[in-house]
Amino acid sequence: MDKADTARGTLETVFIVDDDASICEGLCNLLEAVGVRAEHYPSAEAFREDRNESLAGCLLLDARLPGISGVEFQEQMQGLGIDLPVIFMTAHGDVPMVRKVMKAGAVEFLIKPFQKEELLHAVEHAFAFDRSRRLEQEVISSIRQRIGSLTSRESEVMAMVTTGMLNKQIAAELNLSEITVKLHRRRVMERMQAGSLAELVKMCERVRSANSGK
Amino acid sequence: MTAAAATGLSHWTMEYVVKPCAIAGCFVLVALLWTFPMQHVIAYPFVFLFFAAIMGSAWFGGFVAGSIAVALSTLLITYFFIPPFFSMSVAKDSQSFLTAFFVCAIAITVVSSARKRSENAIREAHDQLETKVRERTAELEQSNLEILESDRQLRLLTEAIPQQIWRTDAAGRIEYCNYHLRDYVGGLVEDLYGDGFFSILHPEDAPLFCQDWKKALAAGDRFEVAARVRGADGAYRWFLVRSIPQRSEDGEIVRWYGTHIDVEEQRRTQQDLVLAQDDLARLSHTLSMAEMAASIAHELNQPLTAVVTHAYACREWLRSDPANLERASSTAEKIVQESTRASAVVKRVRALFRKEAQVRDTADMNRLIQELARLLRDELIRRGVSLRLLLASDLPQMKMDSVQIQQVLLNLATNGMDAMMQISGPRELTIRSERYDREIMVAVEDDGPGITPDISPRIFEPFFSTKPQGTGLGLAISRSIVEAHDGRLWVTNSPHGGAIFQFTVRAES
Repeated sequence: MDKADTARGTLETVFIVDDDASICEGLCNLLEAVGVRAEHYPSAEAFREDRNESLAGCLLLDARLPGISGVEFQEQMQGLGIDLPVIFMTAHGDVPMVRKVMKAGAVEFLIKPFQKEELLHAVEHAFAFDRSRRLEQEVISSIRQRIGSLTSRESEVMAMVTTGMLNKQIAAELNLSEITVKLHRRRVMERMQAGSLAELVKMCERVRSANSGK
Repeated sequence: MTAAAATGLSHWTMEYVVKPCAIAGCFVLVALLWTFPMQHVIAYPFVFLFFAAIMGSAWFGGFVAGSIAVALSTLLITYFFIPPFFSMSVAKDSQSFLTAFFVCAIAITVVSSARKRSENAIREAHDQLETKVRERTAELEQSNLEILESDRQLRLLTEAIPQQIWRTDAAGRIEYCNYHLRDYVGGLVEDLYGDGFFSILHPEDAPLFCQDWKKALAAGDRFEVAARVRGADGAYRWFLVRSIPQRSEDGEIVRWYGTHIDVEEQRRTQQDLVLAQDDLARLSHTLSMAEMAASIAHELNQPLTAVVTHAYACREWLRSDPANLERASSTAEKIVQESTRASAVVKRVRALFRKEAQVRDTADMNRLIQELARLLRDELIRRGVSLRLLLASDLPQMKMDSVQIQQVLLNLATNGMDAMMQISGPRELTIRSERYDREIMVAVEDDGPGITPDISPRIFEPFFSTKPQGTGLGLAISRSIVEAHDGRLWVTNSPHGGAIFQFTVRAES
């Protein structure tokens, strides 16, 4: 788990939200002992106020909390721009509740008291999930950056190329000579750092699906 | 002159002139004709013959005819038989005779006609009387018919009215049942007369019915009771039986009238309602039990979770190289704290349950069982279970927590009833009490399917239940109550298939 700390600038942290101070303390103690960074908050509201801008790691959330319950907080997270994977824990989980939170994307549901392995597996799983999420975010943001560097004419040409139009068709559509279109096309490939047309199409697809996911 | 007046006049002439003249003429002529031959046989035959003619005329023709006959007779006698004969003159010595004859004749006429008149009057009166009697008789017959008809109508009404109606004599013996009652009870009608009526009541309702009925008879009060009445098909239905006495003018009860109102549907709806309420109550009870269990579990799980995580952390601190003894020690301290917190929770829960215990007074087990029977009466009826009590008469009074023991009894009885819901046919719950030296033994036996071997070892475990709504705490709590009374609670299967739950309570020395 040591390599977890190496993620680009941000430290992977388990954010524990539980109203029972002794449980927070115990969990922090255990995570610290196995070398995982942990922070704890007594309520969902406290976490919402204190969180940093960029978060990495996962949320270890008690399902029943005073004020906003864990289940409610999970629903609000997307609206708040918090993408952290969530591990739920509760002393008494009922089936409808478990189904609801798992459907909403929770990584794991732990019944208190739980074994160390259960917790660490869940945390590891959540961290991996979060890492790939952040990686994906980085890739997408770099693609977006490259798209941003294109001129408006180049963007037009790229949009047409990726839908499978031939140079001749694009030239006719944009009222340009075929040679000019070819020139624009080569510049798009250079600026987007795409080795092939297939790669370019994939990049556009990723950005589009990330946008529609928002 | 009108035609009517003309007929009236001719009628008058006929009645008072022609007819008397004819009658008088006839009689007098006959008398005259008879006088001539009779003269040679007796002296003065004309006297009685003419008297006879006058009498006859007056009798048959009335006073007018009589008078005419007198006049004619006097003339004829004067002419034919008073010397000088064949002349209207009268000899001096015959004058007194003629006068006497005349006077006598007039007298006869008067008497005879008067007699005739009175006879006529009598006959007329008699006739009138006869007519009147006939009219009266006809009237009576008519009104008699009317009475019969209205009686028939009334009977038809009581027969046709969609109600079961009966009538009893003053002593309460059935005399009459209407069609609907006869139809409902079927072929048993003859059995109903007299006291046989009670035989169509449900055996469980009959004693109460009899008691109330006798009370009503004695007090002369209106009577109302609900009871199950057996129909022709052998099935019982609930009826509201109502009766009122009819009193004579001097206030004596002459008879009783009663109706049966079918309240089966009403009862069923009511029972369904009670059932629904029961379910609701049971559900809410279960819910509160579940909530309590959840809250206890939560209370315990919090410190336990902390203990477990600290313990894991402690091990990790010790395992690390080099071992972080400082952190391990402080973590161990935390474990002690959290464990203490967990045990405090357990203590609190136990205190919660112990609060109600230990209220013991002297009580009679049989009385508790009888109280329970009263408590269960409605429930037993609703579930179609009959309760049999076999109570020992020599039970000693004992110190016990009556509320808790009753809880045990109620629990076992309810379990028995629940078990019997699965079977069809007669359901009987038996509660027995017996004395064994210094112990009282109570057995609750049902006709249910009994306890199968796979569940019998677990049946007293808390939270173990075979019922969908069961909390699984009833028998567990019952056992702990019995054990707190130095007794035992156990279960066996009876030879006829049901289960027998038995418990003992020991008298304090």
